[in-house]
Amino acid sequence: MSDRMKIFLLLLPAMFIIVVLFFGGLAIGAMRSFNYMPVIGLTQPNFDAYISVFTDREFYLSFALTFHIAFTSTVISSVLAIGAALLLRRSFIGRGLVNFLFQINLTVPHLVGAIGMLYLFSQSGSFARLAAEFNLIASPADFPALVFDPYAIGIILQYVWKEIPFIGVIVLANMQSIGEDYESVARSLGASKWQTFRYVLLPLIFPGVLSASVMVFAFTFGAYEIPAILGANFPAALPVLAYRKYTDVDLAARPEAIAMAIVIALLSAVMIYFYVRYSRRRIRG
Amino acid sequence: MTHVSIKELTKVYPGAEAPALDRLSLEIPTGELTALLGPSGCGKTTTMKMIAGLLEPTSGDVMFDGRSVLRDKPENRGVVMVFQNYLLFPYMSVAENVGFGLKMRKIDPAEISRRVGEMLELVKLPHLGDRKPSALSGGQQQRVALARALIVQPNVLLLDEPLSNLDAHLRFEMRDLIRSLQQEMGITTIFVTHDQEEAVVLADRVALILDGQMKQYDRADVFYKRPVDEATARFFGGHNFIPGTSDGHSFECALGKLALPAGAVSGTGRLTFRPENVRIGSGQEQENLLTAQIADIIYLGTQTRLKLIVCDTEVEAVVNPNEIESYGVGDTLPVHLPRTTLWVI
Repeated sequence: MSDRMKIFLLLLPAMFIIVVLFFGGLAIGAMRSFNYMPVIGLTQPNFDAYISVFTDREFYLSFALTFHIAFTSTVISSVLAIGAALLLRRSFIGRGLVNFLFQINLTVPHLVGAIGMLYLFSQSGSFARLAAEFNLIASPADFPALVFDPYAIGIILQYVWKEIPFIGVIVLANMQSIGEDYESVARSLGASKWQTFRYVLLPLIFPGVLSASVMVFAFTFGAYEIPAILGANFPAALPVLAYRKYTDVDLAARPEAIAMAIVIALLSAVMIYFYVRYSRRRIRG
Repeated sequence: MTHVSIKELTKVYPGAEAPALDRLSLEIPTGELTALLGPSGCGKTTTMKMIAGLLEPTSGDVMFDGRSVLRDKPENRGVVMVFQNYLLFPYMSVAENVGFGLKMRKIDPAEISRRVGEMLELVKLPHLGDRKPSALSGGQQQRVALARALIVQPNVLLLDEPLSNLDAHLRFEMRDLIRSLQQEMGITTIFVTHDQEEAVVLADRVALILDGQMKQYDRADVFYKRPVDEATARFFGGHNFIPGTSDGHSFECALGKLALPAGAVSGTGRLTFRPENVRIGSGQEQENLLTAQIADIIYLGTQTRLKLIVCDTEVEAVVNPNEIESYGVGDTLPVHLPRTTLWVI
């Protein structure tokens, strides 16, 4: 058997999953979004679902909210993760324990974290009760709305809590593989600590930060369960809106839901493209 | 330009039992090129990093022109270090790398561009400013690293194994370039190396460091003629160490009674002489003429190494291949040890 054939056969299972299941599903979804469903007699494809999506004011509100959630979570997580990695790469007493604690919530599912967030930060949660107990507020209901709130603070808190160690672990590994010699060179050439970070370390770790933050952005932009549990009813995040339409009793809303899901994927890809381009130019000058 | 004084410099890394560097003291005169020579792990790079301010000494002091610089931040010391693996910033062009130090000093971009051009001319890479470091050869990267260091006109230049990653022909080229730039700019320069040949050809003075301690600090030729001990002599390629007793004029040992040069120490010790100083005797010599049997002949190209047995003692010699053309293993021949080449340690 030739090497080419061997490679082809080895790749076949993975290619089957990607081509048949992913692209197959996408193709069927796309057909439905164009109102092409021969099974129920729809044989004339059209753009009605997309027109409906783009003329719905709620879609734009949801898009703005979802972008706010994804962008804010990604930026805060990335900045804090870089800071944490800078601290954790130093040697200090108890570093192993701190490192362990830093990474421990990687193993906690998002859903569990969201429920924890609900217990802690809702107006009937532990912090609200504690604040009322210590007379910081008159009653738990006076606690600031951090979940189900219009600014999605609870959702962002949950993502930041979960994504800091994710980005941090990648950045820390990146920093450790780079070592400190580049920074030593910069210092001896006259760079201050800040200049060394800005002009040397940051551009060096940038590919790692970029990959991790792109993953976080894509995930937070397209994730359903956290906005569903911690988000306000209106406006809802785009994936929540799409799911509501998909599960609508009116089957005619289904193409609109799928169109929305496809729009979410496309918007996510476009935003990631511009994010990568812009940040590469800013960081590497 | 700067006179560098290193006083009892010691570094013990956390958790280490032995110091990486143990009370090293050195005086490096203004504008001189000094080599810190020693095997890997002997404390050379640790010394450099402490001079540059990149590492805190456990004790001791580093002084520039009589002033302690231990409290000065690395960026304020006027010391630039060029690392063994160049460490050019991979995302910057060659010109950006060279101009980095000036940019950090907030020099006007037009001035940076002018000085970068001059510096690239100086290191003979005038056309490569736009390239990325990954598109350069090892020798070109080394030149860029050197240009990046020299452009900030440091008081002290530190070079970590500057020639070790280069091919043989590039080593000669780079050695000459470093030497000429250093002399032209008069920068006090310290470089570390594990290669005694590199140290000898490049440095005004050599400091030999073994196991974290300085063994000898002298002009290069002294290491060959007057090593302080056997370890030093061995590091510089010495092979012959014959135990015996000296009365200051002659040395009584297994080879017989050999005449010593003036100034030789008295007492028990080891007689040492370099293999290349063992001469094939003509029979006319008045002193230190011995009869040797050839145990082995190793042809090295331009030289031939001989293992000789003299009075049941093994002696190594390196001679011109033409001199022993007519000899074979087992033959005997006269050998002469000129008194000026002998040394007692």
